[in-house]
Amino acid sequence: MKKFLLLALLCIGSQEALAAGGAACGDYGECDSFNPELNNLESLQLGALTFINHCYGCHSLKYSRWGRIAQDLDIPEDIFTDNLVFGAKVKLGDRMTGSMKPEVSETWFGIAPPDLTLVTRLHGSDWVYTYLRTFYEDSSKPYGVNNMVYPGAAMPNVLASMQGQQILTCKDVPIIASNGGVRRDEMGNDITEEKCGYLKTIEGSGDLSVQEFDEVIFNLVNFMTYVGEPSRSDRERMGWYAVLFFIVFTALAYLLFREYQKDYH
Amino acid sequence: MTQQSSGFFNWINSRLPIVNTFERHLSKHPVPKKVNFWYMFGALASVVLIIQIVSGIWLMFGYENTEEGAFASIEYIMRDIEYGWVIRYMHTTGASMFFAVVYLHMFRGLLYGSYHKPRELVWVFGMTIYLVMMAEGFLGYVLPYGQMSYWGAQVIISLFGAIPYIGESLEIWVRGDYYISGATISRFFALHVVALPLILIALVFMHLVALHEVGAGNPEGVDIEKHLDEDGVPLDSVPFFPYKVLNALVAIGIFGIVFSIIMFFFPEGGGYMLELANFEEANPLSTPEHIAPVWYYSPYYAMLRAVPDKLGGLVVMGAAIAILFVVPWLDRSKAASIRYKGILSKIAMTIFIISWLMLAWLGTVPVTALRTTLSIIGTVIYFAFFLLMPIYTSIEKTKPVPERL
Repeated sequence: MKKFLLLALLCIGSQEALAAGGAACGDYGECDSFNPELNNLESLQLGALTFINHCYGCHSLKYSRWGRIAQDLDIPEDIFTDNLVFGAKVKLGDRMTGSMKPEVSETWFGIAPPDLTLVTRLHGSDWVYTYLRTFYEDSSKPYGVNNMVYPGAAMPNVLASMQGQQILTCKDVPIIASNGGVRRDEMGNDITEEKCGYLKTIEGSGDLSVQEFDEVIFNLVNFMTYVGEPSRSDRERMGWYAVLFFIVFTALAYLLFREYQKDYH
Repeated sequence: MTQQSSGFFNWINSRLPIVNTFERHLSKHPVPKKVNFWYMFGALASVVLIIQIVSGIWLMFGYENTEEGAFASIEYIMRDIEYGWVIRYMHTTGASMFFAVVYLHMFRGLLYGSYHKPRELVWVFGMTIYLVMMAEGFLGYVLPYGQMSYWGAQVIISLFGAIPYIGESLEIWVRGDYYISGATISRFFALHVVALPLILIALVFMHLVALHEVGAGNPEGVDIEKHLDEDGVPLDSVPFFPYKVLNALVAIGIFGIVFSIIMFFFPEGGGYMLELANFEEANPLSTPEHIAPVWYYSPYYAMLRAVPDKLGGLVVMGAAIAILFVVPWLDRSKAASIRYKGILSKIAMTIFIISWLMLAWLGTVPVTALRTTLSIIGTVIYFAFFLLMPIYTSIEKTKPVPERL
């Protein structure tokens, strides 16, 4: 029974939680949580737009096909082709192999930008969501930016014009006593100390407010979560039917079993 | 019409023993009338075997066994083949569920002494099935050619290198190359889809034939053959068909619910069934930070890591599996079932379960000094449970086993 319980625990652990893990987001600590909305077509469409316009220049989605995205995201083919597919030779059935040659990108960045089809499955959506929002200015780096989740990332902050300038600051934070409460002086005021490493966006330096930017990233990561496993919403929908089928099956089998059991009891 | 079909039936039956076989193994095959849920996992294991064979055949329609194509072909199955993801998740969930039901089935054997005379061979065939399953699972895990496939294979194949004198040549022979490559994938593919499944099916057949020869056990450890009716049928038995088939159907229904929940809602099993690092294609130039096996190998992986010497680790891991084969001769107890065994057996069993679960956990987490110590303790307990079994089962006082079920 104990073994059985442990197996059950192992199996039913939340995938997303494990993908994030403990302090999985590097210097940032715990990742910000991300709950995908895979049935929110508007969010997925906006995310696809952001991806194609800002990410696809360097990163491919090589296991995914153009047409599948148009179909799943309910975008009419003509609108999709005119606004999202760049390149006259590209057909909707083609894989999204990227628009940059690896040898060129390797010269430019020192490393070829990775394919992003499965990035949300590899690191977890939480990780990607946090990573994209934690670039900060760091003049010691080649692109003038560094990242809290993945320090030394060889990637410029592509969305800086939207987000604006984000810097690392220090602030006074209350000291937590060993009993878990905030330490206070004799006057009852909180005792604080200066701690650094906090992200701060300089207001008015970007096109979007913090909330608006977070929403852009939400839609983008939502789209990337979809691309990681395009059948996921189908899977979860079909799952209910499968479970329901087996519940009915079990009930009928049990009734039959009970009837036959009378023979020898 | 009836006459015609019965004529046809007779024609077949006089050439192929349908009726005899049906009667001998199903409608007249006596099984103990009182068993509990622990006795359902054997039937469930055969259900999972069928799931694995059928889903495996379907996966082969889309899988490409080359270094360049393997990883991409899995994504092709997941995306471009209609319902390919159903087949793939069925196979990956099936792999874990196969081990889950087999572990529970084996545990049932330990708990109720299913290996006691005259069922020693049933146990030995069962253990051989488990051994082949471990190899089958490992080979299958390499096929998607993700990062963890590659580095897991690197770790396991390098174990062969620890064998003195022939190790290095053996390693190259197994890989088919100086490093893991397309040659490794294509041979692992052949072994995974043809060679081992054939052996597995043959072993399952032997396991069942041996079982039907001696009859199934029961949780009381009562020998039902002692009390027979005038036809020579055990009084405490019922025919397998339809009674136990219906029993199994209920179990299959419940199992189907669990299987569907995992497959449709948690196919990655929290990273224990499909490891997240395997969503990246194999890269020989970059070692993952933490190489961990899937959950079903983890207790033995913990033992391997508990020993600092590679050859020593390999020997310990091998011995841990080998010792399971001789359990029928280690248990000297008069009572088969834990219900009638003495207090020493009960204590030993409890400590064994706890330490096995601890090892299973230790095998999945990165090493620290404390965890290595715990792994050593767990390994010692594991071996002590079996090696001391002849002593504690013979000195303890057992309760009298009832005559009837």
